[in-house]
Amino acid sequence: MIKDWISRYGLKFPRSLIYMLQSSEYNIGEYLSWMRRTKNFSHVEKRKTLVKNPKSLLLLAITWLLLIAVYSTALFVIWHGYSIRRLYVFFFLLWAAPYIASYGIIIPLLIIKYIIQRPIEYFIVKKARTTLAAHKGIKIAIAGSFGKTSMREILKTVLSEGKRVAAPPHSYNTPLGISKFIKTLKGDEEVLIFELGEYYPGDVRKLCKLIQPDMGVITGINQAHLQKFKTLKKTTDTIFELSDWLGDKPLYVNGENILAKDHASSHHILYSREGTKQWMVTNPTTGLSGTSFTLTNEDKQITIQSKLLGLHQIGPLVAAIDIASYLGLSEEQIARGTNNTKPFDHRLEPKQDGSGVITLDDSYNGNPDGVTAVINFLASLHGHRRWYVTPGLVEMGVQTESIHKEIGRQLATANIEKVVLIKNSVTTDIEQGLKESQFSGEIMWFEDALAAFAALPHLTLPGDVVLLQNDWPDQYN
Amino acid sequence: MKNIAVIFGGKSAEHDVSIITAHTPIISSLLATGQYEVWPIYITKDGAWYCDQFMNDLEYFKKDDWHNQLTKLKTIHLSFDNGLTVIWPGLLSKQIKIDLVFPSMHGTFGEDGSLMGLLRMANVPFIGCDLFASAVAMDKVLTKQVLASEGLPVVPYVWFTKHDWELNKSTLSEKISHLKYPLFIKPVHLGSSIGITKVKNNSELENALEVAFHYDDKVLIEEGIENLIEVTLPIMGNETLQCAAIERPLNNTEFFDFNDKYLSGGTKGNGVNRQYSELPAQINDTLTNQILDLGQKTYRILGCSGIARIDFLIDDQTKNVYVNEVNTLPGSLYQHNWKTIGISNVELVTRLINLAQERFDSQKTTTYTFSSDILKQSGGKKI
Repeated sequence: MIKDWISRYGLKFPRSLIYMLQSSEYNIGEYLSWMRRTKNFSHVEKRKTLVKNPKSLLLLAITWLLLIAVYSTALFVIWHGYSIRRLYVFFFLLWAAPYIASYGIIIPLLIIKYIIQRPIEYFIVKKARTTLAAHKGIKIAIAGSFGKTSMREILKTVLSEGKRVAAPPHSYNTPLGISKFIKTLKGDEEVLIFELGEYYPGDVRKLCKLIQPDMGVITGINQAHLQKFKTLKKTTDTIFELSDWLGDKPLYVNGENILAKDHASSHHILYSREGTKQWMVTNPTTGLSGTSFTLTNEDKQITIQSKLLGLHQIGPLVAAIDIASYLGLSEEQIARGTNNTKPFDHRLEPKQDGSGVITLDDSYNGNPDGVTAVINFLASLHGHRRWYVTPGLVEMGVQTESIHKEIGRQLATANIEKVVLIKNSVTTDIEQGLKESQFSGEIMWFEDALAAFAALPHLTLPGDVVLLQNDWPDQYN
Repeated sequence: MKNIAVIFGGKSAEHDVSIITAHTPIISSLLATGQYEVWPIYITKDGAWYCDQFMNDLEYFKKDDWHNQLTKLKTIHLSFDNGLTVIWPGLLSKQIKIDLVFPSMHGTFGEDGSLMGLLRMANVPFIGCDLFASAVAMDKVLTKQVLASEGLPVVPYVWFTKHDWELNKSTLSEKISHLKYPLFIKPVHLGSSIGITKVKNNSELENALEVAFHYDDKVLIEEGIENLIEVTLPIMGNETLQCAAIERPLNNTEFFDFNDKYLSGGTKGNGVNRQYSELPAQINDTLTNQILDLGQKTYRILGCSGIARIDFLIDDQTKNVYVNEVNTLPGSLYQHNWKTIGISNVELVTRLINLAQERFDSQKTTTYTFSSDILKQSGGKKI
């Protein structure tokens, strides 16, 4: 306890504060709540470290200045005469210095945000909107609580066989991120694909105004970011802001997701692992080497062999195929493009090391639907000892307990042999779910993900399949 | 949590290999269990003992200036008062009572039984073979003599010391001339193939002996086998034995030397012997059974316990099998081999710990002292 208290007075403290701000994407509410939860400030940078850029360095300098100012005042008070009152003030200032710095930094942050950053961003976004309005390419917008990046990559891979396609890299899905990407366009692209990030009501509408999409895809709605949205109704309404914008223009909706399907209109195109209105899926199979199925409509038949893992990938593949067909790609181009699809970074990405252990890196998948899909995939694997490693899911709001218990139940039903849990506030719920479903495998606990990753090579055997599910960023500790 | 000390390094030609074995798999697997407080005890080549938990990370020993950093630490003291206690001297003196020791020292002053003797004196349970098996197995000549006396097959050999060679060169040369070339010249007490030379004729002998005597004062000269197949068998257990898979090292060079074993090994290696070994060895069932039988007999004759690895030579034409060497601390515990029969690193170290405890408990029932009046009677006419 004393160590925790002293950690506020250590040299690392200012850096920890700025790291917390940066990891929370300078969201003051999140920063304050993380700070309230944190007991020891010496080991805040666990999963990542502070990224040094002009903004973070400026804020770090200001924090140091604040601390120096408070300590100097304390010294000034005691230096210029001794009295009991002055002594009280001196000790009070010494005690209060880290608190003054923690909260004081918010003022310059707000100044930077509203006086410098916002006006600059406004002009950047305005310029990007003008550029995009003049761009002749077809703009496809993807909204949803999950699966947006996978959908973007699938679309990009399939459509690239017949069109010049561009899409923002990484998870550029905010107005500023998309504007940065727009600056890189050559102007001759035929298709532009955008992910729409949603954190608060109105976010999707704002992005639609910027992009002005010609068609869209809604990948599904679930509890991702529920902590921010508070209710699933608000999440649904925000994601369907895309539908409001598109009007009669084509909108593909994931028919496997109940919330999205229930909210879809009759003119929307539903897609699922069964196919679409136009296409029918037959002979679906999946395994560690990929997924295959046959797609037929009235007069066409296409055999698909994707390297993507899991039957849940068939729905997005079918949607991409239908869009490709709509945009005029030939059957050969579609088949070639679809067969080129492969797992993306950290999304059910298989890796095999020299020891013969197959690791499925699904660390960017942190939503309940994605988890269910992956557990179903693991359940379909036979002849392997299966390991499921997770710190649980973040931002599940009021449904945190029920969602995690359900994950435990699903793992027990799938007869997963080994479940590795990282100690935090949610994994005890997974354990509870496992126990309630008479889980027959082994549960192992680790203090943090790094300890688990270090131990796994010594616990596994050749042929084992290790699934790494989701990451637990520092700001949720 | 139990305190477990992993002792590595030491005054040995295999000093660096010992550091690797200590970390991969021993320390990392012990940490992975989450059940032990691991205390790495590193012995320098000069014989100084250090212990600090940051040495649990192998990366420390890869730093350029780790030797300098090490000298800033205080050497530890050991107390044998009712068990083994590690003491960090100084103003802020600290001490830790060790519950179990995991020796990870290859070669001299460690694997040769010296460390085991120390640990027996300290009355602390330790992993792996005991003093007697370690001492015999470390001496390649003694091993052959013991095994041959029990009727186990070994290849023809000659041995002598540096002093013998200097005094009786002609007699010994005469003895050597009865062996069939090619011959292998080996320092008797060294492992990891250090100092071994293959000679094809008499003119190469002198140089090879010089190399061997550089590392040891006792050398072994043994016949090479035509159409040789080398295989090795890791075994674990005290009374009940479990064999791992029979493994055949693959080498394209003259023989499997230190570089092949540790620097170019594994499928990822870029050395000449790119593929480290054939696992399990593709040999027929008769040979397999013969090796399993000879392996277990050797293990028992030498009194091994915990873990050991027995090396064999097979003449591919005659199908004769010879016991070659016994290694009481296989490099990295031959973890890759145990994995192929379904034993993970964590399970391996956990089993070895249980075996060590089992042996320690059973030794407690042995009476080592005897009451007599001999002291009172000393000084008399005849004791």
